[in-house]
Formats: sequence, C-alpha cells, structure tokens
Amino acid sequence: MLSANKKLDKLLTLYLPLALMLSFTMFPIYWTINTALKPEGDIIKRPLQYVPANPTVENFVYAWTNIGFATFFKNSLIVGFFTVIIVLICSTLSGYALSRYQFKGKRSFMLMLLCTQFIPRAMMIIPLFIIFKNLGLISHPLSLIITYTAVEIPFTTILMAGFISNVPKELEEAAMIDGCSKMQSLRHVVFPLLLPGIVATGVFTFIYTWNEFLLALMLTNQQSKFTLPVGLSSMMGEFNVNYGALAAGSVIALIPAVILFAYAQKHLVNGMGGAVKG
Amino acid sequence: MFMNKRKWSNSILALSMASGLLLAGCSGGDETSSTPKESGGNSDEPVKITFWDENASPERTPLWEEVIKQFEEANPSIDVEYVGIPNKSAKSKYDAAIAANDTPDVGSVQTTWLPEFAIRDALLPLDDYFEGSELKDKINSSAIDFNKKIAQDSKLYGIPYAQNLDTIWIRTDWFEEAGVKEPETFDEFFTAIEKMTDKENGRYGYTIRGGAGGSFQLQRLMFAYSGLDYFDEDGKVNINDPKHVEFVEKYLSYYEKFTPKSDITNGYKEMIAGFDTGVVAMVHHNVGSYGEHKKSLEEGTFKTIPLPKTEDGKFVAEGGNAVNVAVFKNTENPDAAWKFVEFVNSVESQSLWNESTGQIPTNADVLDDEWVQNAQHIKVAFEVYENPDTKLYEPPFYLPDYRSILDNIVDPGIQQVMSGEKTAKEFLDEWAKAIEDSKTKYDETFNK
Repeated sequence: MLSANKKLDKLLTLYLPLALMLSFTMFPIYWTINTALKPEGDIIKRPLQYVPANPTVENFVYAWTNIGFATFFKNSLIVGFFTVIIVLICSTLSGYALSRYQFKGKRSFMLMLLCTQFIPRAMMIIPLFIIFKNLGLISHPLSLIITYTAVEIPFTTILMAGFISNVPKELEEAAMIDGCSKMQSLRHVVFPLLLPGIVATGVFTFIYTWNEFLLALMLTNQQSKFTLPVGLSSMMGEFNVNYGALAAGSVIALIPAVILFAYAQKHLVNGMGGAVKG
Repeated sequence: MFMNKRKWSNSILALSMASGLLLAGCSGGDETSSTPKESGGNSDEPVKITFWDENASPERTPLWEEVIKQFEEANPSIDVEYVGIPNKSAKSKYDAAIAANDTPDVGSVQTTWLPEFAIRDALLPLDDYFEGSELKDKINSSAIDFNKKIAQDSKLYGIPYAQNLDTIWIRTDWFEEAGVKEPETFDEFFTAIEKMTDKENGRYGYTIRGGAGGSFQLQRLMFAYSGLDYFDEDGKVNINDPKHVEFVEKYLSYYEKFTPKSDITNGYKEMIAGFDTGVVAMVHHNVGSYGEHKKSLEEGTFKTIPLPKTEDGKFVAEGGNAVNVAVFKNTENPDAAWKFVEFVNSVESQSLWNESTGQIPTNADVLDDEWVQNAQHIKVAFEVYENPDTKLYEPPFYLPDYRSILDNIVDPGIQQVMSGEKTAKEFLDEWAKAIEDSKTKYDETFNK
C-alpha cells in the first residue's frame, strides 16, 4: 500500500511535471526537425503532417551548400572558440583576484563590472564600428572576438569569483605548505576543483557568441564572413521565407549547442549549483 | 615539480602561438570594405565595388548573383562584391555605415530611405549620369520624378529598378463557389468579407495586419477609400479627416467578427500563411507575394485585384512604392558604380529580376516581354499605374521620423483600436499630431 502510494507520489510530483515540461520544450524542436525534413510544398499544406510523408534531406543540402551555411558555421566556430578561450583565461585570473585578495576599491570595481552590463548593446554599435574601421578589422573575425570578449568578461568574472570562493582557501594553503608554488597550487588544487565552474562559464560564453546577431551583422560587411545567426536571418526575406531551409539551418545551428550541453551536462549542474566537494 | 612548471608554461606558450597562427590564418586574403580601393580613373584598371542588397533571401540572393555574374562578364575589369543584408536590419546597417563613413559603393535602397540618406549627405546625385544615359527615356518617368520630388534638394538619388503596388489577393475558387462578386468598390469589399466568412468551417473573409507593418496596409487602404492627398492645401495633414475616421472605425470593427482572432499580431508571414493555407478568402498585400501564393495554391484558384476604387470611381496608389539602386558618395569608383546601376536597369536584368520576384519593371522595354503579358498580377499593376485617372498620393517620406512614426505610433495604435483600448478617432488624432509635429520641425529646419 505504502509503496503504491509512493509510486503515485513520484508519478504526480516527478514524472508528470517533467513530462509536461519536456513536451513544452521539445515541441518546437520536434517541429523544426519535422519542417526541415519536408519538401517545400508539404510545409504549409493542410492538413498538417505531424510526420513528414515524403522525408527528404534536400533542405539540409540546400542550406549547407547553396546558402553558404558551411561558411557561416565555420565563422561561428572560429569566433566562438577563441572568445571562449580568451574569456576563460581572463575571467579565471580576475575572478581569482576578486575572490582571494582584499584590495582598495574592490567593491567599486565589482560595481563597475556590474554597471557595464546595463549598457544597451545597440548603443555601442556605431562607436564600435568606427573603432574597428580605424583598426581595419571590419569583417574580420577578430572584431567579433574582441567585442564578445569585452562584453562577456565582466559577467564571467563575477561568475568565476563566485566559483573560486567555493573552493576552500585551506586547500591551497595546505598545498603550499607541502611545497607548491602559488601557480602550482592553482594548477593542481584549485583548477581541478574549479572545472565545473570553468565548463559552465565556457558553455555560457559559447552559447552567447553562437546566438549573437546584432553585433555580428553590424561589424561584418562581407557575405563570406557572416556568422550563423546573420545567415539564418537572411533566410527570411520581406516577401518570401524559405521555411524548409530556415528550419534545416536552425537544426544545423542547434547541433554544436546540443553536443556541448550533452558533454558538459554533468559539470554544468555542479557548476551552476556552485557545490564543490572539497 | 620543476618539470611540471616548465610543461605548464610550455603548453600556455604553445596554445597562444597556435591561436595566433589560426587567427592569422583567418585573416588570409581578407579585403574589408574599409581597405582603400584602387582609384578607378582608368577603365582598364581592375576595380572592385561592393553592392549591398537590402532584402536578402534564398530567392533573391541567387538572382543578384546572376545579375552580377552577367555584369562582370560584360565588364571584366569591374568586380562586384555582393553583401546580402536581412531585410529587418537593413536600415540600421545602412545607418551605422553612414554614421561611420563606411558605406558600400552601390546599394539597393527603398524609396522611403532616399530623402533621409540624401540629407545625411551619403548619396551621390545621379542627375548628370542619368541625363547622359540611354536609360533616360526608358525608366518610368513618374517614378523618377517622384524620387526627385521627395529629395530636399530635388536631385535624383536613386534609380528605381522595381516597383510594387498594393493589391488584394483573392481565392477565385471560393468566390465562384459562393457566387460572390469580386469587389470593385469599398461597399462590395466589405460585403464580400461578410459573405465569405464561414467560421464553422474555419474560413474567414479577410485578414487584418495588426502586427508589424500594419501601418502601411492601413494607410494605403485609408487613402484608397478617401481619395485625399496626404496634406490639404493649407498644409494640414489629412490623416484624421472624418472620411478616414469613418473607414478605420468600420474596417477595424471587422476584427474577430469576420477575421481571425490572431490578426492582432499578424505580420507579413502570418497574414500570407493565412491565405496560403486556406484560412482566409482575401488578403491585402502587394504583387510581390505572387511567388509565395504560387508555391502553395493551385494555379487558377487565386488571383489579384486592385484595391477598391473611391466613391467617384478612381484608383488610388501610394507614390514611391519602389526599390532603387543608389550610389554612395564615398565611392572611389563612381563611374564603375554607375555602370552597375545602368546594368541593373537594363532590359535583361530588370526582366530577369522582376519576372522572378513578381514585381513591376520600371524599364518600358520590359513591358513587351512575353512573361509580362502572361502575368495576371503584373497586368493588374499596369492597369492601375497606366490609368490616367489613377491618383498617386505622396506620403512625407522626407520627414526623418516618418518611418518611426509608422512603427512606433501607428502599429501599436492599430492594435489598441482592435482591442478596444482606443477609438479610431483618438488613434488617428494621435497619428496626425505626430506627423504635424514632425513636419513643423522639418519646415523650420529647412525654412520652407
């Protein structure tokens, strides 16, 4: 009796809400995949086809080869990869400083970091454009890497400072008593414990660069340097939308994010929870 | 420990070197538009010009690429670089480029943007080039005159390569089935909406564009109904004229009664999808959506008709409903840029472009093409544009905030009237005041 009740409880409080939530989040993804697999004529045909009657990969081929998704994908990867590397190095070091050291103006420095997050991105476009134009970096991946890094660092620094504070200071001291230098104790003691935080921050940064549209469009004047969101957006003309290719493009854009999350999932949960087992 | 330390620093070094190399690799063969261009005085010297398309899409981009390919074959010394910009962000992209003085050589520019770009000193006047060109007698003169008229200094800043006209797309098969007459007047239009609505079968007579871009639709219908000019003789705006109040009251009262509930957030895509999936019998758009309808509806089940006539039987159309090619002032190769402009407006290019996009050519020679004779929607557009009684009204595109008034006051205003938060009169008064204020400021600035 008791176990039956328990099962019911579990069903009502765990499986049912989870199933509901899952269906809400999965439906748009299912629909995108469904649309991507349909030939053009079937997409807005009534009655709706919940499973493609004539599944085809032509939309994927079209998006990848004709529209240049292969190039957009590569550009996005380059920008994302380097931004993540730079952001991680900078924010781990500055986060460490913020978390471990006491110095004058620390609070106002933190406040300043927060304040940078209040500036609307759209306000920065023209100044950024002029700066990068003078540097000759318009349409160069570096312009995006620099901008994204600058935009992300304040937030990720604060995030990292939080993660580092969770690593007991005593562990580092113990390592140093055993003969480690500061760098060594960082590398052998702090970093392994910090891994979940680093993964979380990296994933967070990558997703931002992967999805960012406005700056990517504004700072790029060459078709061959567009990133994925800009490429996706140019699939929607004023008078015509190629839903099939758009859906296929979205699925392509989704893949790295899904792989990344699948790999980082365990770390991510640990990282976000901020729970580091010492 | 020492070894470890060395390994550690070595790996950092290696990583930074690899990043540097990779980044350097990315920049290989890079030629940004900021790079100073070769001067194009000599026509044999190879030059490169950039062209921005303000409405990139999977259908249009390949067309531009084809036009560019043909141009490059005809002019081997000129290399055209295509940049397709998503339509929604095109204006802000141009804005940023103009502000930073990093404009393309040639751009596709909507008529409504021409006056503003000209005031900002971004465009090259094309009068001399045009006068000396074969195009002079070929391009629709009313469209050229219109472009001159809206510029503050009455110069020609863009050559229209495609025109458009608002029309109503109807399901002919449904109309026949129900025995309803295709509407020619506004009374017939409203009656048709009522008769074609069959809610039980999920069919509606019409769909209202309540979301983004609804302002254009409403403005064009209002003036088609009243036949008024945008401003009266004393320079007062006619937006809140009693005729317009009467029309908006009736038109928006049809929401939910005879049109789908979702209309309140309808943008272009939703509205057209409603028509193409067999939910609504009529939709007000323009001849440009022909390609979309053709994809989902069978030939012979749909066609386009002009907007209903005014009470005294006249067609009304909004002037300046065209896209232009414009040359930007910063270009270092104005002659090469003009050559491209000329090529885009040649019979071959305009024919290819307009046939595929379903728009109306401006080059008179294209009209003899067979496809024009066989395209019902293009013929309807000609019927309207060539009718000597057709009235063209001129919205004040030259007001710098004309577009933002439509987007920020009129679009939300339509939704408020639809949801009953505002009366039609209040909404039109607000709209009229915004236009008047903006015009006063403009007149003061330019001492008109």
